[in-house]
Amino acid sequence: MNDITQKIVAALGEYLKRDPATIEPGHHLRDDLGLDSMAVIELLYKIEETFDLQIPDQDLVGLSTVSAVSTYVEQRLAPAKQPARIAVKRKKKA
Amino acid sequence: MPGRIVVTGLGVISPIGIGVSEFWKAALDGRSGVSTIAGFDPFPMDGYRSKVAGQIHGFAPERYLDSVQAERVDRYAQFALVAAKEALADSGLQLGKENPRRIGVIVGAGMGGMVMGEREITQLYKAQRPHRVHPNFIPVITLNSASGIVAMAHGAKGPNYTISTACSSSAHALGQAMQCIREGRADVVITVGADASITPLVFAGFCSLRALSTRYNDQPERASRPFDRLRDGFVMGEGAGALVLESAAHAKKRKARIYAEVAGYAATSEAYHMVIPREDGEEIAVTMRLAMADAGIAASHIDYINAHATSTSIGDAVEAKAIRQVFRSRADHIAVNATKSLVGHTLGAAGAIGGIATVLAIHTGQVHPTANYEDPDPACALQGIKATVQERKVKAALLNAFGFGSNNAAVVIKRYAA
Repeated sequence: MNDITQKIVAALGEYLKRDPATIEPGHHLRDDLGLDSMAVIELLYKIEETFDLQIPDQDLVGLSTVSAVSTYVEQRLAPAKQPARIAVKRKKKA
Repeated sequence: MPGRIVVTGLGVISPIGIGVSEFWKAALDGRSGVSTIAGFDPFPMDGYRSKVAGQIHGFAPERYLDSVQAERVDRYAQFALVAAKEALADSGLQLGKENPRRIGVIVGAGMGGMVMGEREITQLYKAQRPHRVHPNFIPVITLNSASGIVAMAHGAKGPNYTISTACSSSAHALGQAMQCIREGRADVVITVGADASITPLVFAGFCSLRALSTRYNDQPERASRPFDRLRDGFVMGEGAGALVLESAAHAKKRKARIYAEVAGYAATSEAYHMVIPREDGEEIAVTMRLAMADAGIAASHIDYINAHATSTSIGDAVEAKAIRQVFRSRADHIAVNATKSLVGHTLGAAGAIGGIATVLAIHTGQVHPTANYEDPDPACALQGIKATVQERKVKAALLNAFGFGSNNAAVVIKRYAA
């Protein structure tokens, strides 16, 4: 479990008042963890605060499992991709 | 016993018009009053996910109201005063000839005095100078300021109170006004719904609830689209609606023009969730049935429903489901529309403004369009929802209103036959 997932699981554990060790990345927020739509909104509010980001409404749709939330946060936090460095062969100085 | 209760006056101030004539013309045109929010001075709109609302632009209270009245109350109560003034003038009541103890005022308001409220709270926390809180803060913020000032403006000394049940507030006010007259406690009740809370904190609160439309920020007039497949949340609105209710005997004695009859009312709680309706629609179905029972009519008599329909994904579908449960094979033969498609969700004013649209449908035989109904959602498609005007002889209608706090109301309004 990476650092981001751990933080999300910890936030879930705190919200649900249950041991984070019982929460798995594959768990469905609604079906397995019993969060209704309001609870999901409250959880994501906490995630926004934890990771200092804003989740637009249109991104909410796919965030149905612990791992989906984790992947989303990772993608949002990833630095912007740098252009690939092109290896330049240098001629040996005679 | 007072017998039947009728509507003799209407007044409205809304994002699609100030005054019933302007409002109704715009409603029949299917015009949306939703626009881009210019900004919350000093807040820019950048940090808000939704950027549209049904605002009443350029409202100058001094054009309509005595300046002393206008200055003592917040925007929502100014709206209430404007609507009540029009409704009373429309009713033709000569208040000087009436027993003031028999004239009541019942207001429905969800948020109340938030414009001044937010300003004073912000300034106090910033400056920490309690003695600079305005002396008028408490009278303005108290939720019955509108019912108080309307009574003062018209000398109404009868039953006077404010009902606050979020989005169903003024449907309850309308129903309670009917009951007040039915029980013989008043001859006339001015019932008003009012709210004006498109303010930095309240708007932010609804954004954080993820309840508002955000997909149409660049096309505001398309944002409020109840029952449409591409709806994505409600649009905040502001305004007020007022109806003058009287006992039929009182109205006939003074030869008043009668618009319609308020015949039945139901108030229930789902006891389920603060913001989510029960998805099976059963609770809403019960509320509609109770209102019809109170009116002494069968479901087969209803030919129009002014739906609560806020343009949220879940809410509209649940309401459509409930309508199918109650009306079964007739469900597709009932005219249904959503006034919120035009004015947005005016919260505490929604019941009253929807009630006015219902009364006018009965009175004129025209059911206003549901704006932006372009791609019917199969989950809530009812054949009676149209994006055009429906010419319909409406004999009996249902007005639905469902509020946060698991609160439901339904009112039956009928054509009055002497």
